Amino acid sequence: MSVSTLETAGGSDLFTAEARINGRVYRDAELFQRELERIWYRVWVYVGHESEVPTPGDFVRRQIGLQPVIMVRGQDGKVRVFYNRCRHRGNLLCLANKGHTAQFVCPYHGWTYANSGALLEPTFDEGYDYHLKREQFALTPVARQDSYRGLVFASVADDGQSLQQHLGAITEFLDLFMDLSPEGEIALDAGVQKVSYRGNWKYMPENSMEGDYHGPFIHRVAFDLYARRTGFDMSSLSTDEIPDVIRSLPGGHMVEDYRGAPFSPGKREPSPARIEYIEKMKARHGAEKARRMLTTLAPLLYVFPNLLYVITHIRVVQPVRVDLTNSYYYPVMLKGVPDEINDARLADHEFMFGAAGFVSPDDLEIMERNQVGMQARGHDWLFIGRGLHREHDMPDGGRGGMTRDETHLRGFWRHYVSLMRAER
Amino acid sequence: MIDRRAIEAFVYHEARLIDEMDYTGWFALWDRDGVYHVPIGGDALGAQRRQVSIINDDYLRLEQRVDRLKTGSVLAMAGQRGTMRRIVSNIEILDETSAGEVEIGSNFILGVARTAEQQLWIGRTLHRLRLAGESIRIARKTVLLINSAHETPLLQFLI
Repeated sequence: MSVSTLETAGGSDLFTAEARINGRVYRDAELFQRELERIWYRVWVYVGHESEVPTPGDFVRRQIGLQPVIMVRGQDGKVRVFYNRCRHRGNLLCLANKGHTAQFVCPYHGWTYANSGALLEPTFDEGYDYHLKREQFALTPVARQDSYRGLVFASVADDGQSLQQHLGAITEFLDLFMDLSPEGEIALDAGVQKVSYRGNWKYMPENSMEGDYHGPFIHRVAFDLYARRTGFDMSSLSTDEIPDVIRSLPGGHMVEDYRGAPFSPGKREPSPARIEYIEKMKARHGAEKARRMLTTLAPLLYVFPNLLYVITHIRVVQPVRVDLTNSYYYPVMLKGVPDEINDARLADHEFMFGAAGFVSPDDLEIMERNQVGMQARGHDWLFIGRGLHREHDMPDGGRGGMTRDETHLRGFWRHYVSLMRAER
Repeated sequence: MIDRRAIEAFVYHEARLIDEMDYTGWFALWDRDGVYHVPIGGDALGAQRRQVSIINDDYLRLEQRVDRLKTGSVLAMAGQRGTMRRIVSNIEILDETSAGEVEIGSNFILGVARTAEQQLWIGRTLHRLRLAGESIRIARKTVLLINSAHETPLLQFLI
């Protein structure tokens, strides 16, 4: 691909004002490389939640784009994100996906680091020039790290927006799901489901945030089964189209805000645990806010580029190749609730999500078929124009649309193109 | 004394029913308090804490799983009839209780043909079977996939 073609490829012809997306964005390997440089290695990327490493020495392995990192709580209690690479000859330092350790020992030549990142032992160090200082060989921290309510983000770029600027208006919606805990704290301590699909990473945020449109077509049976099991009719959420359910926010973030769309009342009597939970929520938030929070879904949200909250869980999008993506589903447990509440959340999660769930596998199958469809190039444009004529500005700087509109997808793509075009 | 041949015949029969997607026949093998479990990770079985599974069905959920498959609406299973076969082997009787229950261990290799790929699923199955006269019912089936802790493709069939 020539330089001029690359410039065109990064330009506005990938997404037009008429809400058309060019098929190349899903299948072009060079665009994927460009995404790594201009998106994944520029912006804030979600790494993990502090509750995954509760005690000093706890660590998890993660990726920022294709770069391996470790999130570890040091002996001093501080959570840090390091590149997962030995300073000596660059071997992968930590192989385990998660664990607990006082020290990371490189398996290649035995260089040893404290869980705070400090180099403890370069082996056979009498053979090294005495001018070398151990401090010069500590694990390399990511360029920037920050957190919001326990959600740890990192950026491998030296400069750029602050995390606060990056998150912007989406914090209101992050608050709404984390405040489902009467203590205002969530815990990602119930494990993770890992799935893989043969499709582009961008299908995941797009598909995850437009369930009201595709739900009646691919999830109808699952919604019926769920209603029979729980008495809650999820399809009632999207029976009528409601203004401003669909939100695009500055920064490419997306929200499905159901505050104006209460559930049909449940048919079952609330359990004692549910009553206790409701009382605790009233005590924290007041009766009116608690009622509103508990009679509809918490917002579904997407924090650009890799973090989703979907009904029961935090979902991470992990690109592998232009046509291969991994995704990780972490059930969100609520602190300060009766065990039965979290048990029910986990049961709901297993009902819907993971490789053997009743909902998300249909999405993943659709994403794989989407990748196949993209090989047909006769008219190489996708159309995301639903509600284009009626979307409008919102006070938070974003745009609002009706329940099944594609307003938020357009916001995502506008932001995507602005990053892909930006000069470094 | 357990009739080992009857146990083996049951395990093979169950495998054939799910290979041939006879969902009604398979569901009829279960006792009404049955639990169908596909945990994540090797040490998940002994875990004290609440941990997410790939499948953790009680009898009601299991019935819903079967009902969903029977509707033919499961996208990943479109056109998949006749595309899977498993070999079950290494059958051992691991435990026998006075209540007429036996714990059976076995290994399996499952091939699934899909467009553009042939998947290989490998694992170990623990069957808790309830014996009463000639009848054998599944009280619990736990499937330990060797790749349960890794990224997996869709598991929209019975395992």
